[in-house]
Amino acid sequence: MGQTAWGWLIAIYLFLGGLGAGSFLMAAFFELSGWRYRAKFCPVALVGATVSGPLVALGSLLLIFDLGAGRTEPWRIFYMFTHFSSVMTWGIYILSIFIPLALVYGFLELMESEPWLKGFVSARLPWLLRNGRTYRRWVAAVGSVFAVATAVYTGVLISDVGPAIPLWSQPVLPFVRIPMLPILFFISAISTGMGLTFDISATIADPEIQRRFRIMDLSHILLIGLENIAIGLLFISALSSGGSAAESARIVLYGPLAVVFWVGVVLVGLVFPFVVHAYAIGRGQHSLASGVGSGVGIVIAGLLLRYMIVYAGIPAAL
Amino acid sequence: MSETKVSRRTFLRYLLGTGALAAAGGVGVGLAHGAQAALARTDEPKARYALIIDTTKCVGCGACVRACNIRNHLPEGKSYVHIVQKGDAKQPWFMPVQCQHCADAPCARVCPTRATYHHESGVVLINEKLCVGCKYCEVACPYQARTFDEERGVVDKCWLCLDWVSEGKDPACVQSCVLGARIFGRLDDPTSEVAQLVASGKAKPLHPEFGTHPAVLHYIIEG
Repeated sequence: MGQTAWGWLIAIYLFLGGLGAGSFLMAAFFELSGWRYRAKFCPVALVGATVSGPLVALGSLLLIFDLGAGRTEPWRIFYMFTHFSSVMTWGIYILSIFIPLALVYGFLELMESEPWLKGFVSARLPWLLRNGRTYRRWVAAVGSVFAVATAVYTGVLISDVGPAIPLWSQPVLPFVRIPMLPILFFISAISTGMGLTFDISATIADPEIQRRFRIMDLSHILLIGLENIAIGLLFISALSSGGSAAESARIVLYGPLAVVFWVGVVLVGLVFPFVVHAYAIGRGQHSLASGVGSGVGIVIAGLLLRYMIVYAGIPAAL
Repeated sequence: MSETKVSRRTFLRYLLGTGALAAAGGVGVGLAHGAQAALARTDEPKARYALIIDTTKCVGCGACVRACNIRNHLPEGKSYVHIVQKGDAKQPWFMPVQCQHCADAPCARVCPTRATYHHESGVVLINEKLCVGCKYCEVACPYQARTFDEERGVVDKCWLCLDWVSEGKDPACVQSCVLGARIFGRLDDPTSEVAQLVASGKAKPLHPEFGTHPAVLHYIIEG
């Protein structure tokens, strides 16, 4: 099939980076909009803040695991901070700022809801608990910038290989020379973040929450629409540019990756959640199964999307 | 309560201290790195080389592939040269491909550690001490000229046998080509065969549309 240098470790990393960043953005949105304080307990903010750091950290760990000499001689990783024309260097800066911020954010959320942590903090760091909301607002605001950077950079990283892998560097439109993948990965990051923090976690914690945030169903439908357009444009552009890009599109559309694409990405991640959310809008609420089901579908499809893109990356013909 | 309360001021001070220490460490590594790169520069005379592959003579025998394998002590089946079969089944022709030593090398641009660099002669080399083995360069090379050394965990590729070349000898792949499909010489000597082939436009860079400006390898392709 496609290129062989990068495999499933990289695909999972790209997915976790997006999922972590998207979860952070969801929590930060609830924090900064004040929605978090509409009820005593906000599962979206709690889950989003606490999982984002570990998810991105786990992804970075996989990235290190995929290294050669950098794994056996870890000090070499510090060299990766030195070359600013490399998107990977930007990435390692973004990750080294985002992961600590996200972990701090997770701590600031956990200290409100975990009794033992709350007790510890109120004994040792009373000022932290007293001004919890202020600190959370700051971390959410600054962290959001780096969350967006994390999600977008995963796409820039692989699209920056330029002519070597035509599928990855396909432009948005023939006359808009911006690569499509950063945009697609960003949409998917928000989508999967919403799926994890809202559809899955919030529905389990409090099925009533769906009634309070009806806008979420519409947002999901909007994101599904945007993702549909992005994927459609990507493959139309790939097919029409011929060569290896068209070959990549063919193995996705009716080749070895067709099942992953049509079943995993389109059916599970786009059609099914669309139907569920459209139905929920009509009915006025979700059931536990529909909320969790659509969330799981979206998250799984996010992983399969990265997998498909990585493995469909066919090098330019010589 | 006997437990000491950490004041906000103290907490922030520690936080700031840790941050400053980390930043200083980063700057230190960066400076050491720059100094190392500056010291590594040698005073070798600038020379521009050209390796021209005449595909009208190549029969795809694989001697260059094998010679490269032996010369670089590569594991069985591995080589910095790979042969691309072109044409159709009735009239196949062969195009050996290796590192083109691009002037605008994407591998050097995407390398996060500066392990890939340009030698003064324009030859693209890899400093294996800096390589982390992320394989970004391998993915970004449009000529698929890079391979991964599983044993040492670093990326490697054709280095034009620069040690032999600086002694005035030919690279291993050129020496092994019995059909004379590989012509090696100095591009900065206008009387050399390679300089004339390039100047006349008979030998051209491969896939100039990639935009990487191959500096050393040129191809004679007919038909």
